[in-house]
Amino acid sequence: MTTATTAPPPYRSTVPESRRAGFGGLLRAEWTKLWSVRRWTLALPTAILLTIVVALLSAAGGSAVKAGGGGGGGGGGGGKRPPGTVHPFNDGGGFVHQPLAGDGTVTARVTAQRASHPEAKAGLMIRRDGRRGAPYAVIAVTPGRGVRLRSGVGTDLGGGSGPVPRWLRLTRSGTSVTGYASSDGAAWRRVGTVEVAGLSGAAQAGPYVGSPSAIKVERRFGGESTSEVPTEGSATFDRVDVAPAGGARPAPWVRRDRETGADAPLDPADSPRAGAPFTLAGSGDVGPDEFARDITETALAGVLIGLMAVVALAVLSVTSEYRRGMIRTTFAATPARGRVLAAKALVLGAAAFAAGLAAAAGALLISFPVMRGKGLAPPPVTEWPVLRAVLGTALLLALIAVLSVGVAVILRHAAASITVLLLVLLVPQIVATGLPLSAATWLERLSPAAGFAMQQTVPRYDTALGPWAGLGVLAAYTAAVLAAALWLLRRRDA
Amino acid sequence: MKATIEVSGLRKRYGPTVAVDDLSFTVAPGRVTGFVGPNGAGKSTTMRMILGLDRPDAGTALIGGRPYRRLRSPLREVGAMLDAGAVHPGRRARAHLRWMAHSNALPVRRVDEVLDIVGLSGAVAGRPAGGYSLGMRQRLGIAAALLGDPPVLMFDEPVNGLDPEGITWIRGLLRSLAAEGRAVLVSSHLMSELEGSADHLVVVGRGRVIADRGVRELLSAASGDRVLVRTGHRQEAMTVLARAGAVVATTGCDALTVSGVPAERIVALLTGDGVPFSGITEHRATLEEAFMELTRDAVDYRSSRTEAGEGA
Repeated sequence: MTTATTAPPPYRSTVPESRRAGFGGLLRAEWTKLWSVRRWTLALPTAILLTIVVALLSAAGGSAVKAGGGGGGGGGGGGKRPPGTVHPFNDGGGFVHQPLAGDGTVTARVTAQRASHPEAKAGLMIRRDGRRGAPYAVIAVTPGRGVRLRSGVGTDLGGGSGPVPRWLRLTRSGTSVTGYASSDGAAWRRVGTVEVAGLSGAAQAGPYVGSPSAIKVERRFGGESTSEVPTEGSATFDRVDVAPAGGARPAPWVRRDRETGADAPLDPADSPRAGAPFTLAGSGDVGPDEFARDITETALAGVLIGLMAVVALAVLSVTSEYRRGMIRTTFAATPARGRVLAAKALVLGAAAFAAGLAAAAGALLISFPVMRGKGLAPPPVTEWPVLRAVLGTALLLALIAVLSVGVAVILRHAAASITVLLLVLLVPQIVATGLPLSAATWLERLSPAAGFAMQQTVPRYDTALGPWAGLGVLAAYTAAVLAAALWLLRRRDA
Repeated sequence: MKATIEVSGLRKRYGPTVAVDDLSFTVAPGRVTGFVGPNGAGKSTTMRMILGLDRPDAGTALIGGRPYRRLRSPLREVGAMLDAGAVHPGRRARAHLRWMAHSNALPVRRVDEVLDIVGLSGAVAGRPAGGYSLGMRQRLGIAAALLGDPPVLMFDEPVNGLDPEGITWIRGLLRSLAAEGRAVLVSSHLMSELEGSADHLVVVGRGRVIADRGVRELLSAASGDRVLVRTGHRQEAMTVLARAGAVVATTGCDALTVSGVPAERIVALLTGDGVPFSGITEHRATLEEAFMELTRDAVDYRSSRTEAGEGA
């Protein structure tokens, strides 16, 4: 060795050693990467804007066919919803009643029922008043599903099957209503007790007959069309008794008009009398309308377009590093690759969440007034299912962003990653509309597109799975993809 | 921590190609170590393995005695410029350095400090990197390496794309970094680029170390004891010298390269036999020649038909 110079002392960095470069620093680093590319900062506002514009366009293009009318049948109209609620609701059928001032019991025997529909109802109802969507409880025999006890939009209890004649009874105690069924009027079998929120003070009680419309749904690629044919049910009762009877003299029987909800006095000769058979006809059903359009979900459909911007941003934030070799700078700065992946996923997920929240809230707040102006009745945005859909859209986009990061880490190429992601997220939804219902249901349950269930606000006939379950499916896919990405990331040369 | 890079028994194979084959060397503090070899010799692969980016099939690479992945704040311990183009074209120089600073919890003021050092401060640093010339990108890459003010530095082909002024600048920078006591590893496929800056050379070919020596040693070894003789009487001169035990080769119509006999004795022999000559010079090899000599057998893809193309 010819170098004879005196060795200088070992060099020490003059940069102060801070606390161990924590995860917070990594988050800041990934956040800095995100905002420092101008094109990328435009992606999320674009996603928000697209979502809102689509919502606005579909609101402006929507028409209020059958809005406000249509009565008690099912059907595809969007506006049949009691004011102040989320759920599309059927409130039809025939109902004659007497007042029930407080707690009490209504009893009757159904002696005959026309099988107009498997779910045609012949039985008893207690409801607060005649207004559409008023709190109610119904117990009824049906030709196809035995004795049912129904209340609200979700409660539907079974009470065994058995032929008519059949005794039915509803007992009200405050806001709880208990239903009983019996074959002889002596031995009573309890069907169940339902809490009827809002059933306070004076109520109405009496025989009820309903018969849902025959619905035909035609599913084809890109949508569905429903057509309905009303059916009319009819049943014969005897031994109708409301106790305690209102006042000293029995109160007159009154018939509810199902269109207006107004009451019309019944001719005493046609009224239920002790011992005499009484026949009541009714068309329409009471309970949730499972065929109505989910207005909120429809208004949020623009997210399908907005999500493309989210997918592109999340994918590019990864693949651009691979493409230019910057991934080496990243991993040289932070050798713990799992932490880098976590930081990137978290930052993109959070950004997508914020964008999703703004997009969903904006879409509803802007499109609902437009719908109202056109005679439609969108639900109030303060109701939980609607808020859940807004929050769910944000969570959905956040998960999709994280999923995109994972796929991009695995594939490392932008075009391939974006193609795969759009395939698994959009194609199931497009294909599902054209498949038979059972196949469509399974496709929506098993594909990552299940996450879109988060945007549902009301249960429908084709609801494949609940909102949180749907999000769970997407979350499971995301976790699996992230795990695979992490494994590859650790194993692969950068 | 001792500022060193210690590579021992490093091996890496990509499919059927052996990129690095049992490579061992040490980069000592206080000097510039040139890492030289033809393209494809395994220099970049070695650097990636040192940085924990590529996983070696065998062997270890240690920074101050620890594997890179164990470093707590890597940018404070090793600065590396692997590829000057590894910057998103839409990102400004300042933002690029800022995310790196955040990732290692370095103070953000370092960003402007290193931009000053490499001469990228001012309006240039606020422009997207996509519009930078190759020279500016090299400077940004060097700035990134200096961000944590680390005692160990690695530059992969830093001279590429620099103008003469830039080359002079980087030579000065490398020397001053080493003078501060840092270990500096600089790779190049052109030996001449390292002339005047490197103190020590690790020459590699086909993934193996061919030479690991000080620059001066290497030069004298490459020069050998060859003497260039200019004479119009080649035939006589060759006879005389061969008789004295020298190895003689003709290198031109009036020039001979003589080895095995010192210059003084050549003069005496030729004069004694009355062979006229017009000049005698001791041969001084350039680094380039030394390199050619060393890598002659190690060049991966020598052109078989056009020897001139490879300069061999």
